[in-house]
Amino acid sequence: MTQLLVIRETIQSFIGKYENYFRPASKFALCLISLLMINGSIGYTEKITGLAVVLIVSLLCSFLPINTIVVASALFVLLHLYTLSLESVIVVGALMMLMFLLYFRFTPKDTILLLLTPLCFVLKIPYVIPLAAGLVAAPSAVISVGCGVVMYYMLSYISANTVVLAGGVSGEMLAKIKFLIDELLFNREMLMVVISFAITIITVNIIRRLSVDYAWDIAIVTGALMNILIILIGDLKFGTYISIVGLIFGSIVGVAIVIVLKFFAFNVDYSRTEHVQFEDDEYYYYVKAVPKNTLSLADKKIKKIKGQSGQKPQSSVKREGSGRIPAEGKDATEYRVRRSATRENERSNSSGNKSGTKRIILPDEDLNAINVSAGVREEAASRRQDRNGMTSIERAAAAKARSEREERNRRQ
Amino acid sequence: MLNESRIKLMTKMASYEANEGKKNMAIGTYFKGDYIGKEVMKSIIYATIAYVLVFALYVCYDFEFFMQDIYKLDLLEFGKSIIVQYLKLVVGYGMITYIVYALRYQSARRSLRCYYNNLRRLNSMYRKEEQEKNK
Repeated sequence: MTQLLVIRETIQSFIGKYENYFRPASKFALCLISLLMINGSIGYTEKITGLAVVLIVSLLCSFLPINTIVVASALFVLLHLYTLSLESVIVVGALMMLMFLLYFRFTPKDTILLLLTPLCFVLKIPYVIPLAAGLVAAPSAVISVGCGVVMYYMLSYISANTVVLAGGVSGEMLAKIKFLIDELLFNREMLMVVISFAITIITVNIIRRLSVDYAWDIAIVTGALMNILIILIGDLKFGTYISIVGLIFGSIVGVAIVIVLKFFAFNVDYSRTEHVQFEDDEYYYYVKAVPKNTLSLADKKIKKIKGQSGQKPQSSVKREGSGRIPAEGKDATEYRVRRSATRENERSNSSGNKSGTKRIILPDEDLNAINVSAGVREEAASRRQDRNGMTSIERAAAAKARSEREERNRRQ
Repeated sequence: MLNESRIKLMTKMASYEANEGKKNMAIGTYFKGDYIGKEVMKSIIYATIAYVLVFALYVCYDFEFFMQDIYKLDLLEFGKSIIVQYLKLVVGYGMITYIVYALRYQSARRSLRCYYNNLRRLNSMYRKEEQEKNK
């Protein structure tokens, strides 16, 4: 676990350090994958299937807001469908217009789910979406995910019926539109998946907000089981012939991916949960504080300290500042490291070590110490033990007892 | 000399201004009625476009029926039902818009109030520092 935490911290610090590059790079990758998948599944227009066009559009999108990727993908879809048949452009275009006009104007941030849902379907990991959306998004994500499911089924239906849609004479236009709208209205499998995803998202969202230990884990498992159950019931009722093995295996993969997501988004240590209770004039407060699992990265510094034989050693460690000992923060750590270096140097010289150069490895004092969230950090600091095995609280209590004893003796 | 608490406050405020503050400040320039009215008007326009789209798809879907029964149809009744459905959509969507944007306006005002309080605190910090400098 410690190793995993170190890896997580490394990744997070790496992303934080190179955020300016990482953000456009991730947008570029998302756009590239989306466009390549669109071209792979419905690539009817040869002019935009070339890698150069895809790369240029992805590059443009990487510097623009993330919703531009959705717009670019929608335009690619419509252009491909235009080459196939005008009817499919009319139906899919109308569908997209309805989604953007009626819903996405309220929550533009959710628009990305419209893109991610079909993407996960193509990658054969559709069951990740309801679990992930339930964990990290608001309940309104139900509508975005539903729109994404509808869009995926519509496009896969069109790509499966290219012969019907591309052929025929212009007089059959209305028949083709009817053919597509029928699919939109009466596709029972699509309806079943929309319902099951909606219920799963709401269930996961409700459970992960509960004030119980391991709420996120319970939410993931319950959500996955709920999803499987609803799809199985729907399969029995509508006779959609969904692969049960695929459903179960896909759900397991989905749960595994969401657990990785949870590790990065919400990793807490329930064993150190603290319950605090206090009151003010108006309320009683029952606070449950769960510390985050974080780990400081090892930051070993190697310092060369030169000393001449027969002379008083010249420490390379300087004392800086006003002479005041810093109480906490980065300054305090540096101060402690310098102090330990000075002590170590003095000790080695007094024990007769006359070598010209001494290599001292100075470990960061907080190495491998589990940091806790801001609220608990001060308490943890106060509990840190000194060399006699006493915490600062115990030291304060002992000092207080000593002063009281002295006071009592003086009175006697 | 650097004032740590002032720098923290300024960083927090700059981050707010760069992110959600941008949107909230735009909302804060409106009176509540004007802001909600503008959004409801937009919603009515969008709902009208959406209704026209759905109606066009409906006509395309049932075109044969329309062509066959166009002379038998009670056009007045048919027109009335279309208008009633349109009004239902517009009123429903308008009400949802009203609720959503009223809540958004409230939260934006609350957030801006907090931001202005921080501004006042910052101002008082500067004044205090200047007084100390003058002493």
